Amino acid sequence: MSISDLHREITRAIEATPLLSPMASQLLQLNAKEAHELKDIVDLVKCDSILTARLLKVVNSAAMSLRHQINSVEHAVSYLGERIVVSIAIAECAASFFSQPLSGYESAQGELWKHELFTAIASRIVARHARVELAPDMAFTAGLLHDIGKAILSEFLQDTSRGVLKDIVQGNTNDYLTAEQSRVGFDHSTVGFELAKHWRLPELLQQVILHHHHPEQAEGESVALIYAVHLGDILAMMGGCGTGSDSMQYHLQPGYADYFNINKDDLAMILLESTEEFNKVEASMSLMEEK
Amino acid sequence: MKTMVLGVGDLGANNDQDSEIKTYALGSCVSVVLLDPKTRTVGMVHVALPESKINRAKALERPGYFADTGIPKLLEEMTKLGCQPKGKGLIVKLAGGAAIMDHNDTFNIGKRNILAVKKVLWGYGMGPRSEDVGGTFSRTVSVSVKTGEVILSSPGRPNWKI
Repeated sequence: MSISDLHREITRAIEATPLLSPMASQLLQLNAKEAHELKDIVDLVKCDSILTARLLKVVNSAAMSLRHQINSVEHAVSYLGERIVVSIAIAECAASFFSQPLSGYESAQGELWKHELFTAIASRIVARHARVELAPDMAFTAGLLHDIGKAILSEFLQDTSRGVLKDIVQGNTNDYLTAEQSRVGFDHSTVGFELAKHWRLPELLQQVILHHHHPEQAEGESVALIYAVHLGDILAMMGGCGTGSDSMQYHLQPGYADYFNINKDDLAMILLESTEEFNKVEASMSLMEEK
Repeated sequence: MKTMVLGVGDLGANNDQDSEIKTYALGSCVSVVLLDPKTRTVGMVHVALPESKINRAKALERPGYFADTGIPKLLEEMTKLGCQPKGKGLIVKLAGGAAIMDHNDTFNIGKRNILAVKKVLWGYGMGPRSEDVGGTFSRTVSVSVKTGEVILSSPGRPNWKI
């Protein structure tokens, strides 16, 4: 297939991807607004009985190990936090999108979602070490969606993993991102950016998805947020939650140090805390998948 | 064949000849494999961080998480199965400790894990017979109790032995 044919096919695949549910979209819009309160989230969740039921199931799951059962939306939302509510809403409406195996990356079913979730959790913890003002919940949401492009691009990268890894080892290409560009004309961050526009995600999230491997190329207020997700992504791969053949095959951008104050011990603590929280959240949500 | 799967910070020893021990996607973590040819016992620990001093409570709850608490605990488990936890009796194999490309010192937890594991092993007069560590790819490790074969795999690469 020529590059222009590929472009057409990829664009078609993006346009064919189902939109997020109105509830998930509204939660994401609300989450991206600077001035909003937990009450706004509660009011929104209350409109959706299925989401309400899921939230109560997650908050009362064994993994959360609560002493008393929680029966109200208010309590569930304030206990779980805005970020987990957003994750559940997204998982609920786009479960098959996020759980599909990424065969182009030799990645099994469920691995993309785990990678997104670990990145989200780690990005939020990284955000606490920011030298500038940065909303941790925003870092979480951005982390949760940063790799959506892979779900589209995977199909076009069938049987390329072995060749790509060889090219990287031999120095023929810079990293997995440039390898994607040379194989199909696009990389997963640009494809993710196009999908983010199709999904009408908030502008800030679109920027994170586009630049998460190269925050140094971004401009304006979003740079610190993009670096948080850049580091969260790397921590997920270090922690063993990658998406297959591309795991660790990217560069650390040293510019993060201008925005974050993280030494060796901090990083060890961040990795430990992220792993713990990931295990807990993942266990409480996989209970939900079983229904 | 039964498979004993170890998560991050888990450890286990096994002498059931019809089993294997497996751990997935090491990333910067290190898998320490101990083989005892005498008792035909295999042990493994999935170490995530070098030193337990950063979180003592975690080290008590899950000693396998750290090199300095995980290896002693694994040796304790192997002793229970009749192994001699010292010197040249046990064969040691290491895998993992990868890093992101262009990492700086802060982000090279993989290397710090490998060094910490070796330091602890030296304290017991032990060292790796073979290893596949470092690099920029994540490894999955499985060991057959019967043959002691350590097989590594990574998406997009053919499997290999160490």
